[in-house]
Amino acid sequence: MTNRERFQAVLNFEKPDDRLPAIEWASWWWDKTVVNWQSQGLPSDIGFRELAPYLGLDQHIQFWFQHRAADCPQPKFNGGPICEDEDGYEALLPYLYPDNEVDAAIEGMKALKEAHDRGDFPIWFSVDGGFWFPRTLLGIENHLYSFYDEPELYHRILDDLADFQLRTLEKVYSVLTPDFMTFGEDMSYNNGPMISEDSFNEFLLPYYQKVIPYIKEHGTKVIVDSDGDITKMIPWLKHAGIEGVLPLERQAGVDVAALREAHPDFLFIGAFDKMTMRRGVEDMRGEFERLLPVMKTGGFIPSVDHQTPPDVPLERYYKYIDMLKEYAEKAVK
Amino acid sequence: MSILTEISENLQKGKAKIVKELVMQAVEQGYAPEEILSKGLLDGMNIIGEKFKANEVYVPEVLVAARAMNVGSQVLKPYLEQAGVKAVGRVCIGTVQGDLHDIGKNLVKMMMEGKGLEVIDLGTDVAPETFIQTAIEQNCQIICCSALLTTTMGVMGEVVKKAEEAGIRDKVKIMIGGAPVDEAFCRQIGADCYTPDAASAADAAAAFCAAN
Repeated sequence: MTNRERFQAVLNFEKPDDRLPAIEWASWWWDKTVVNWQSQGLPSDIGFRELAPYLGLDQHIQFWFQHRAADCPQPKFNGGPICEDEDGYEALLPYLYPDNEVDAAIEGMKALKEAHDRGDFPIWFSVDGGFWFPRTLLGIENHLYSFYDEPELYHRILDDLADFQLRTLEKVYSVLTPDFMTFGEDMSYNNGPMISEDSFNEFLLPYYQKVIPYIKEHGTKVIVDSDGDITKMIPWLKHAGIEGVLPLERQAGVDVAALREAHPDFLFIGAFDKMTMRRGVEDMRGEFERLLPVMKTGGFIPSVDHQTPPDVPLERYYKYIDMLKEYAEKAVK
Repeated sequence: MSILTEISENLQKGKAKIVKELVMQAVEQGYAPEEILSKGLLDGMNIIGEKFKANEVYVPEVLVAARAMNVGSQVLKPYLEQAGVKAVGRVCIGTVQGDLHDIGKNLVKMMMEGKGLEVIDLGTDVAPETFIQTAIEQNCQIICCSALLTTTMGVMGEVVKKAEEAGIRDKVKIMIGGAPVDEAFCRQIGADCYTPDAASAADAAAAFCAAN
């Protein structure tokens, strides 16, 4: 079974022949984690796409399409705005939705088509979602006010976003069919959703309903990437056509077993409590035991629930990988 | 419906302009400033806080309600001062050193102000020494620390240590919150209180101040 076939099997709720995929989500590690590992013996000349196979994990290739041009004005402070109203958005438009940067990424995708067709790795892509993207323009706090202060602007941004993404998707599918995709959103936190179901339905649902059918038509699985406790939002997401979520942060209170019971047909990636990696091998084994029953139900790729923390030593990470593979095999037996 | 109830209800809907007008009208009608504050503005914010805890309203609704409360409070401020009404307690709050995330901290601040507390906002990336110095200089009863990252939560322990070293540990309560922290971590570092959400943090802070 190829690496890609293994992914496809899980994404289709089928049992892989040998084991579940063994991956780190996302496609890369925190900079600080890698720097620490380099001081512990990890060679420094390994490219980020080669790190997974070097460590003994399955490779998966992500493309994140840029929605702002490289020369787009930057916020004056972290999380700050780059536009505040309709006029500001107008002024910013020349820097947004950069089709030429998408074209460059599509060229990179073309270069991987043969290996993807051969099954060497799955390919997935990410786009800025209808919650995330306006936040990058309006700033964290103004974005939250904008549901009340600038509803027309919000709708306009999401109309433009959907148009750009549909253009982008057409280019993607002219090259290959990615195995899954994510809408980068981060619209929940440790107490649940950041917005109400009414706001979700008024603002995000029409956007999703424009973009998602085209993706599903091509057979790519549609997943939302949202940190925090996504539990309450899952029915809203399902109604919008979303097929799965990641990374299911345990620290935020996400219980993947309860989610599986409530949503037997929903895809999950993540859910392995990263905090156990800081505590040691026994805790990591306990965490895999917690996840094993859900791993056996299919449609679930276990992975660290938001990348390995920087203070996890490389030696312990190798033990984690061994255990991940051990339980990935147990899950299909 | 009394004008105080109208203030409360419009505040809950985030109608800042209406709240401002109603507060002015209430003053003109001769309501005591303290009553306008407690039965109008703080009542509305308390209801929002409870609904927020119960996931009946969400972050945008809290923000617009808090903005309406601030607008109303600004109108009321000179009358409260004239009447000698003081805040029920004083808190210094900040996101700890190395961490730039502030939405959670801002929510806690708004909720605490909604309980009638005076909150000194130290912003983000706040050094342990700054928390301690502010608590001493401003005579704060509570230091409130926020962190979003697993890599910065350890700074909260430093704040506790610095408070001990400065000799103010028995005079100040240290509260912690944020995605990576929990009750066990609170106990481990010797802080006084962990709360899982902004409204609970405000409840706990108000209770501390009332007990002192």
